Amino acid sequence: MTDLLHRQATSALPTSTPPTPSWAIGTPRLLAGLDSAGVLDARTHLAVHGPLPATDLGHLLGLLDAAHIAGRGGAGFDLAHKIRALRGAREVIVNGCESEPGSHKDRTLLTRSPHLVLDGALVLASAIGARTVTVAVHDPGAAQALRGAVAARPDSRHVRVRMVPGGFVSGEARALIRALAGGPARPPGRQTHSTDKGILLSNAESVAQVAILLRLGSHRYGSSGTAAEPGTTLLTVGGAVTRPGVVEIPLGTPLEIVLYAAGSAPPQAVVIGGYHGSWHAPPPGLLLSRAGLAAAGGSFGAGVLLVLDQNTCALGELARVARWLAAQSTKQCGPCRFGLPALAQDVVALYRGAPAEEAAHRHSRAVLGRGACHHPDGAVRFVTSGLRLLRDEVQSHRHGGCGRPILGQLPVTS
Amino acid sequence: MTRVLDVDWTRCEGHGLCAALLPGRITRDEWGFPIIADGIETGPDVRRAVNACPALALHLTRT
Repeated sequence: MTDLLHRQATSALPTSTPPTPSWAIGTPRLLAGLDSAGVLDARTHLAVHGPLPATDLGHLLGLLDAAHIAGRGGAGFDLAHKIRALRGAREVIVNGCESEPGSHKDRTLLTRSPHLVLDGALVLASAIGARTVTVAVHDPGAAQALRGAVAARPDSRHVRVRMVPGGFVSGEARALIRALAGGPARPPGRQTHSTDKGILLSNAESVAQVAILLRLGSHRYGSSGTAAEPGTTLLTVGGAVTRPGVVEIPLGTPLEIVLYAAGSAPPQAVVIGGYHGSWHAPPPGLLLSRAGLAAAGGSFGAGVLLVLDQNTCALGELARVARWLAAQSTKQCGPCRFGLPALAQDVVALYRGAPAEEAAHRHSRAVLGRGACHHPDGAVRFVTSGLRLLRDEVQSHRHGGCGRPILGQLPVTS
Repeated sequence: MTRVLDVDWTRCEGHGLCAALLPGRITRDEWGFPIIADGIETGPDVRRAVNACPALALHLTRT
């Protein structure tokens, strides 16, 4: 029996990831045209999406207020609020780092529909009066596609495409801003708001949504999704499914429908939001909207949806990710540096049948809210929600184990 | 204006001077890093602890 817990992480991400399959429930917007074309070049992009209407700040804010576009990078912050909070000289940074192991949605957009992301970034830049646009990516394939797209259009002379170092925490907004300024790719210690420096930093998908919204107008944009949360969102679906990939869904789609369409095995658990996200019992009734997920104690996070089937040891999967999360600490902040490995050891102890619930609880509390960035909080949220859901699993491990191997349905990078 | 005692976790090395200077109000976790009680009144003794921090990690932040 392969014991993945004691092996090095199985697959490092290749330097340039192969294209991920993509599909949609309902009419694709962000993914429009990708079913027939591998990559939308400038001409195909124009044929599929049409010309970009002119706009100004007032008009754009009106559209954004109606559409309630929340950031799609993890934090879920309202884009219109972000724009209103801007102070000083302006700059647009598109965060295309996508450091979440299960996530491929931003890479898919950046490599296959780069003009849509550029459209959105340029619209935002012109509306706020920014002189430069930077698109930051980890993935070389995404960088190459973007550079090609920038070269192919006359309106993007002030767009820079920058490769920044990989790593889970280095994709964090403030760490990214530091890295782009030539500093270390680690979050700063003091609380800063990028908007105070005039930086509008937004995730690649959020920016692409702006390009869609401007073309459709708020009325047509709202023909998909719910009244409170119009439009679509991208998810990356993986784990025990026969059709993994990047999926565009109307906001408010029931989770069951997405699982069915993805060819999910009967789930033991579903991880929603990635590795700062949460564990959920198989639905019924869970709606994939911000409100629906919040009611279930979850959030979209990075838009990752991972299915664990009945054949894998869920507690072992949790232990593996807990170790990975501990290894992602930039080790700047003591509580995260020491607390996350201690917490991961607790989960490993539970997997081995030792009574470590109290230690896990204590170490979780010792980490929460005590770091320069969101990583310790997100990691604790993931682990505690997993342990809460897997209470019976913990008991079965106490009494000899669940008898299932760890199949690695939750991907980690080395 | 209220001010709260805040730790820059990227600087804090767990020396423990703050906990020694403000017993009962700052305790230490199992690795030696400070745990600050809620609602600390900011007086001269708190400012002294801020100034004593060898890592310059302790701050009074406006809320």
